[in-house]
Amino acid sequence: MAAPFVLVVLAAVTVRAALYRSSLANFIAERVEVASPLNAWKRVVEGLALLDLGVSPYSGDIFHETPLIIYLFHFLIEYAELVFMITDVLTAVALYLAIQDFNKVVFKKQKLLIELDKYAPDVAELIQTPMEMHYIPLKVALFYLLNPYTVMSCVAKSTCAINNSVIAFFILATIKGSAFLSAVFLALATYQSLYPLTLFAPALLYLLQRQFIPIKLKSKSFWLYTMQYASLYLCSLVVIICLSFFLLNSWDFIPSVYGFILSVPDLTPNIGLFWYFFAEMFEHFSLFFVCVFQINVFFYTIPLAIKLKEHPMFFMFVQLAIISIFKSYPTVGDIALYMAFLPVWSHLYRFLRNIFILSCVLIFCSFLFPVLWHLWIYAGSANSNFYYAITLTFNIGQILLVSDYFYAFLRREYYLTHGLHLTRQDGTEAMLVLK
Amino acid sequence: DQAEQFLRSGHTNNWAVLVCTSRFWFNYRHVANTLSVYRSVKRLGIPDSHIVLMLADDMACNPRNPKPATVFSHKNMELNVYGDDVEVDYRSYEVTVENFLRVLTGRIPPSTPRSKRLLSDDRSNILIYMTGHGGNGFLKFQDSEEITNVELADAFEQMWQKRRYNELLFIIDTCQGASMYERFYSPNIMALASSQVGEDSLSHQPDLGIGVHLMDRYTFYVLEFLEEIHPASQTNMNDLFQVCPKSLCVSTPGHRTDLFQRDPQNVLITDFFGSVRKVEITTEALSLDREVAAVESKFPDEELATEPLKYAEQLPVAQIIHQKPKQKDWHPPGGFILGLWALIIMVFFKTYGIKHMKHVF
Repeated sequence: MAAPFVLVVLAAVTVRAALYRSSLANFIAERVEVASPLNAWKRVVEGLALLDLGVSPYSGDIFHETPLIIYLFHFLIEYAELVFMITDVLTAVALYLAIQDFNKVVFKKQKLLIELDKYAPDVAELIQTPMEMHYIPLKVALFYLLNPYTVMSCVAKSTCAINNSVIAFFILATIKGSAFLSAVFLALATYQSLYPLTLFAPALLYLLQRQFIPIKLKSKSFWLYTMQYASLYLCSLVVIICLSFFLLNSWDFIPSVYGFILSVPDLTPNIGLFWYFFAEMFEHFSLFFVCVFQINVFFYTIPLAIKLKEHPMFFMFVQLAIISIFKSYPTVGDIALYMAFLPVWSHLYRFLRNIFILSCVLIFCSFLFPVLWHLWIYAGSANSNFYYAITLTFNIGQILLVSDYFYAFLRREYYLTHGLHLTRQDGTEAMLVLK
Repeated sequence: DQAEQFLRSGHTNNWAVLVCTSRFWFNYRHVANTLSVYRSVKRLGIPDSHIVLMLADDMACNPRNPKPATVFSHKNMELNVYGDDVEVDYRSYEVTVENFLRVLTGRIPPSTPRSKRLLSDDRSNILIYMTGHGGNGFLKFQDSEEITNVELADAFEQMWQKRRYNELLFIIDTCQGASMYERFYSPNIMALASSQVGEDSLSHQPDLGIGVHLMDRYTFYVLEFLEEIHPASQTNMNDLFQVCPKSLCVSTPGHRTDLFQRDPQNVLITDFFGSVRKVEITTEALSLDREVAAVESKFPDEELATEPLKYAEQLPVAQIIHQKPKQKDWHPPGGFILGLWALIIMVFFKTYGIKHMKHVF
């Protein structure tokens, strides 16, 4: 599998290098869908220039990156393009290895359940075979590297790529079973943008499953392991934050980074849902609605954890999607990460109900974003409502995509245990309906 | 006597700053006042480039003007002082105290166009005419702010210190106008006002066709006086002081000449209202060849015998290409780097086991 993977990597690197040399690089770097105030490359350069002039980069409203990014780019700023290409390749490698291991785990679990006769007799066609699972890691790497969203994000040199890379390594560490590394990478990811905090739950569930610790609230080993993992995570987070203090000898970065993410002061339009709402809102209510919107991101963790406790990787996927949709400054780079996982659940294809319309919605909205932006900002014949409409449609498309996959997954699980041909009590054919 | 007259005034150029400070239709007469003075001053030779005209409201295009695109200054609509060649430099809301003072003192933002600047020098004679509503010690601008006589005096002092005028004639046609020139303390200023402190300046005649008063009395009679002036006239300031006695004007016009160095008897009206160039006509012929030869001989050839610059003496290329790149001024503190790499190494060894350490070292 190494050779096709290397080919894919080469193709991806060529595409990115070609785009870097073309005039599109500047155009893409300016687009609001790709560069948000949190991860725009322009702001990184500005922050480093301010530092060279002796001013703290957090003193204005320009720079919202963490001190570790300052440290990283202080030495690598001349090689920025190489750095981002290597980051993308590393992400792809991490995802490839992760999904390879995950496939083995899935297969083993499936075999176990078949031997335990947990499956109904007529579900042979639903079982995943190694043949079809063989190419999934390659497809995942392909989906990530050659996704136009990723390419645009890389060409724009948005630090979202670094965030994606850290999350990919976190997933790799989780799947390999190393609680320590997984906690460290999760701490790094949370440190950079706050939202991967919610990925703590799926990682914990996966590790518990791997250690064969049953997830019962009364079980002592469950709480022990949870405490261990949580303490590892929190300690590494605290250590990293304290270390960043020593870079600039000030705690300025905390309000600049975390305060900025949580309080959403910058209302530049992006593909998210925050900007329009808060641009229209009265000051009096803004605190309340900021809290509501932020809770919305973290809110789905517990219900999903309860429902998907047997399937932590799917939970991870859904959680990543929720983060990308509901975070305060989403960009297409975040979307690219969870879309990379779609080949892992390609066996759900027969249960997906709206996949055609949703893919059309997503593709059309992606094309309409620059069109309506141009009409609004440059031609002046549209207004912000047009752009907001496309944002809404795009996010609705994403949400429906995620819920479609969720429903398809649950449906497949149901069929696996209850058989494909469902019958009611009186013997007639039944339909599975989501209530 | 002609030669005396020639050497009398030291100015070489003339400027005029004409300000109307009132808004609204019923202050038609102030705009008409200012435009009439503008007309006279233009007629007597001061070009638009040397006139800063500030009108706070637009009477010609006012919706209440029954004769649009005109501003009349005489009963029976004899004289339209608005035409198609009026150049208003500061119009409407741009006529503010700040802008007026900036024009006078020259402290104007660099983006201001030339037409809005008073580019006078120390050989300029400036006429400043102001009209509007005033009181004891102040003049109202645009119904929202006022300029005080102290501010005005200080502005003129700034102008004097910056050598922005040679002589200044200040005419004001408002109620209690004399209070505005009470505080002047800079040299070479002559001031005229339409009324004393405690008196009101009155308007001349209403026009029933337009519905408002068309002019103020003082300016009306000053204009009648100016109509007889032509660029070559020898009328002096004393005649101007006699314009509009109490019988015609109802208010008592005042004037102030103590700061002025010349005797008003010797000051021509055209020194301020016109732009009269002093021209000396000579019938002598000047030979230029001798001049050129004289200039040439001042620079002997040996002074120009420096070495021509050779290409090789410029900064050597080797030095240019090996110039070090600009040093970055900020470096991450050593403690941070140490801590970070220590952590990374710890994580690495925790993951892969301590036994690798002996292979590394």
